[in-house]
Amino acid sequence: MANATLPDTSAGHWDRLMAAALAGDAHAYRSLLVELVPWLRRYYRRRVPPMMAEDLVQDVLLAIHEKRHTYDPSRPFGPWLAAIARHKWIDRIRSMKWQSTEPLDENFGTPDHENSVVAETTLTQMLGRLRPAQAQVIRMVKIEGYSLEDASRATGQSVALVKVNIHRGLKRLASAVQRVSDED
Amino acid sequence: MRTESLIERLSGDLQPARPRSILREAAILAVLGVAEVVVFLAMGFMRPDMSAAMHAPSFWWKLISMGLIAVLGAGIALCSIDPTRSPRRGLRWILICITIIFASGWLIDAAQDGLLHLLMRLNWRQGIQCAWKMIALSVPAVIALAFLIRRGAPSDRTGTTLAAALASAGWGAFVFVFACPSDDPLYIAVWYSVGCGTVTLIGQFVLARLARW
Repeated sequence: MANATLPDTSAGHWDRLMAAALAGDAHAYRSLLVELVPWLRRYYRRRVPPMMAEDLVQDVLLAIHEKRHTYDPSRPFGPWLAAIARHKWIDRIRSMKWQSTEPLDENFGTPDHENSVVAETTLTQMLGRLRPAQAQVIRMVKIEGYSLEDASRATGQSVALVKVNIHRGLKRLASAVQRVSDED
Repeated sequence: MRTESLIERLSGDLQPARPRSILREAAILAVLGVAEVVVFLAMGFMRPDMSAAMHAPSFWWKLISMGLIAVLGAGIALCSIDPTRSPRRGLRWILICITIIFASGWLIDAAQDGLLHLLMRLNWRQGIQCAWKMIALSVPAVIALAFLIRRGAPSDRTGTTLAAALASAGWGAFVFVFACPSDDPLYIAVWYSVGCGTVTLIGQFVLARLARW
């Protein structure tokens, strides 16, 4: 999975820019961040609903800035960037446990219909790893914005069970993504 | 904030950054470890029968075992602070190491006289004191590793903090070995497990909350 998503660093172009950034070259750093944004947008648009993607792009840019000393200039930049992007994705899945959600509006499939469909497909595949009861309430409460009570009524699960299934499902989802990255 | 504005702000704030070095961080931990042992012994906590104890295999068993857990745990924690590295394989080695430690302790115990006076051997009053001291001695390691983890970027928070908590537990127990009055493998297996287990549980709980980035 990581290999398929590993950024093409243009034969070390990003490596050189990041090494220069570590030395304090603000111009190289700015160029690097600008070049990373399209790759990050593509990465997240295939994995999360569109309204989350831009937040995650910014999260990664901040993480790159705050943790730049953990990049080793003797190693390629691509895997380091991919690891941070994946970590932020997993972190977002985990944080969904305690974050309230806004319901998706009608533009879920627009304006970038293809990416939304891909994100939806990826999400469906990920939810397919869970028990149906867990996947159902995560989709309703965390993606479609239903209240716990509404999800409880619609699924026949008690509110407490809805909470438990969301908690366990998201934990399992984060572990599944983590496991895939470990296997890579 | 728009992404373009964020980029302007980040590149405007840029300062040179020295890449982290595992060797440098390991050296910091090693210096801290040696300093803690020196201070602990200078405070008069060394067991009075140390020269005799050094002839007992169980003394070396517990010293080497705890040192091994501390070194392995710290090494795994430091390596996995890099976001591209996972601590999982290293943690499996620690678990194998702990299993071997218990098995070898059992062999040393079996070589001694029977299982008489089990409760007396466990000596729970002294055992609780031992466990408490181990916990206290692990605090510098927890603080040092918390600082390093907080500064780093672990992508497997649970694994890295578990390795760090195990390292702290092994560290505290290693230092305590110099004061520990007992060489009874049963006593050591029980009370060192209590002390190390407590540090591992609490340490992992605390470190996991500090490791978010």
